[in-house]
Amino acid sequence: MGTGPPSRLSPQAVTQEDVVITHEDVDRAHDRVRVSAARAQRGTFSKFRLLWLLVGPGILVMLGENDGPSMISYAATGARFGIGFFLPFVILTFCMAIVVQEMTMRLGSATHRGHAELIFDRFGPFWGWFSMIDLGIGNFLTLITEFIAIRAGLGFFGVPPWAAVGSALVFLCLAVMMHRYWTWERTLLAIAVFNLIFVPVALLTHPNWHSVGNALVTWRPLPGGLSQDTLIIVLADIGATVTPWMLFFQQSATVDKGLTRKDIHLGRIDTIVGAALAAIAAVATIIATAPLFAHHMTAENFQGAEFAQALQPLIGRFGAALFALGIVEAGMVASVTISISSAYAFGEVARRPHSLNLPVTQGKAFYSVLFLCAATAGAIVLIPGLPLVDVVLLVNVVAVLAMPPALVFLFMLANDREVMGDLVSPRWANILATGVVVFLTLAGLLFGISVIAPNVFAFLGGK
Amino acid sequence: MPSKDKGHSSITSTDQQLVLSSLEPEQLAGLKKHLIPRRHLRGLEKVVMWSLRIYLLFMMVVVIYQVLTTLH
Repeated sequence: MGTGPPSRLSPQAVTQEDVVITHEDVDRAHDRVRVSAARAQRGTFSKFRLLWLLVGPGILVMLGENDGPSMISYAATGARFGIGFFLPFVILTFCMAIVVQEMTMRLGSATHRGHAELIFDRFGPFWGWFSMIDLGIGNFLTLITEFIAIRAGLGFFGVPPWAAVGSALVFLCLAVMMHRYWTWERTLLAIAVFNLIFVPVALLTHPNWHSVGNALVTWRPLPGGLSQDTLIIVLADIGATVTPWMLFFQQSATVDKGLTRKDIHLGRIDTIVGAALAAIAAVATIIATAPLFAHHMTAENFQGAEFAQALQPLIGRFGAALFALGIVEAGMVASVTISISSAYAFGEVARRPHSLNLPVTQGKAFYSVLFLCAATAGAIVLIPGLPLVDVVLLVNVVAVLAMPPALVFLFMLANDREVMGDLVSPRWANILATGVVVFLTLAGLLFGISVIAPNVFAFLGGK
Repeated sequence: MPSKDKGHSSITSTDQQLVLSSLEPEQLAGLKKHLIPRRHLRGLEKVVMWSLRIYLLFMMVVVIYQVLTTLH
C-alpha cells in the first residue's frame, strides 16, 4: 500500500483489516493518480502540469490573507503615511509569511495531519485547548471584519447591509457545496486572483514610478516618527500578512489536497508564488491610496470601501468601483478560507470527518461549524453603529499578538524529529523563524508600551 | 481486505485498489483516528510556552484597555 517512505509515527499496530475506505479517500486517490501521471512524464509541459496540479494551498492562504481588513489596513497605510516606509516594510512581512507558511506545508506533507490535530496529539489537550481558544477567537473576530469589508464594499454600489451579508453567505454555501476539494480549490483560486484588481486601480492614480522605486530601494523612516497611531498601522500591516488562521488553514488544506513528501519542493513554489501575488496586490493598494496622503486628504472618516469614494475625484467612478469590488472580493474569499480553517480545526480536535471531499451527509459537523461561524459573524456586522475601521485595524493587531505563541508550536513541531524525520527544519530556517517570533513579540511589546506609557515615545523623540 | 465505510456502500473494489495503490497509509481518513504519541515538554520549552501565554494574556488586557480608552 502507498508509495511514500514509512513515517516513524506510522501506527505500526494497524493492519489492513482496520482500514476503512471512504469517499474522501477515493476522491483524494483520483487526484494523486493525476499527480503521479504528470510526475512520470518528461518535458517542460509535464513539469508545468505537475506544478498546476500541486499549487493551491499556498496561493489560497496568501491571497486569502489579503482579506478585507488587510486591504483596508493597506489603504489606511497609503492614505495616512504614503509609500516611503511601508512599501519595503510590507514586502518584508510577506518574506516572513513565506518562512512561516513553508513550515506548515512541510508539516502537512510529512505527517498528513492538520495543525490542530498535531498540537493536541503531541503536546496534549492542555496546550491544545489554549491553541484552539486563540484560533477560535481570532478566526471569529477576523470573520466579523470580512463581513464588514463585504458590507462596506457592496455599500459603494448601494447594496443594503442585509443584502450584502446575505449574498456573502450564499457565496460561502456555493463555494463549499462542491463536495470535492479539487473543484473548490480551483474555483476559489480563480476568484482569489481578482485580488490583483488593485493593480489597475494603482495604475489609474498615475503613480510616480521614480518615487515608488526610490521608496523600495531606500526604505525611508516612518513619517512623523514613532507614535501609537503609527504603531497600530505597523502592527495592522504585519497582521495583514501573518496570522494564526493561516498556519491552521495551509496545513489542513495541504493534507486535504493530499500532498506528500515528494511534493514539498513544488509546495514551496506554491507558497512563494502566493506571497508574491499577495505582495503585489498589497503594494498596489498602498500606492493606490497614497494620493490621499499626497493631497493631504484625511482618511480618518473613511470606512472600508469609502476609501473608494475618497479616491473617486482622483481616479474616476470606474477606478473607485474597481477598488470597492476588490474589497468585496477580499472579504468573500477570506470568509470562505477562514470559516474552513475553523471547521478543519474543529474536525481535527473532535475527531470528526473534516474534508472538502465530504458530502454534506457525511460531514454534518464540519459543514455546520463552517456555516455557524460565518452566519454569526455576518449577523454581528448588521448591528448598527459599529466603528468599522477601528474594529478592522484592531483585529489585525490582535492577530499579531496571538502569533508568537502559535509560532512556537509550529517551530517545535517542525523541529520534532519523531514527527518530521529527515524533514526537520534546517538551521537557516530556524534562525529565520526565531527572528520572526522575536520581531513579532517586540512589535507587540512596543504597542503595549505605547498604550500604557505613551509619553515614552515623546521622550525618545517621537510624537 | 480493507473494509468499506458503512455509509459508503457505493465504493467499489476498483476504488479500494485505487486508494490503496495511490495513497500513503497515513493519508487514509480511517487511520487518522489513531493518536500520534505524546511528547513531554522540557524545562526550557515549558518556560517559553508559559512566558508567551502570559505575554498574550497581558497584551489582550492592553488591547481591551485601548478599546475602552478610545470609546471614552
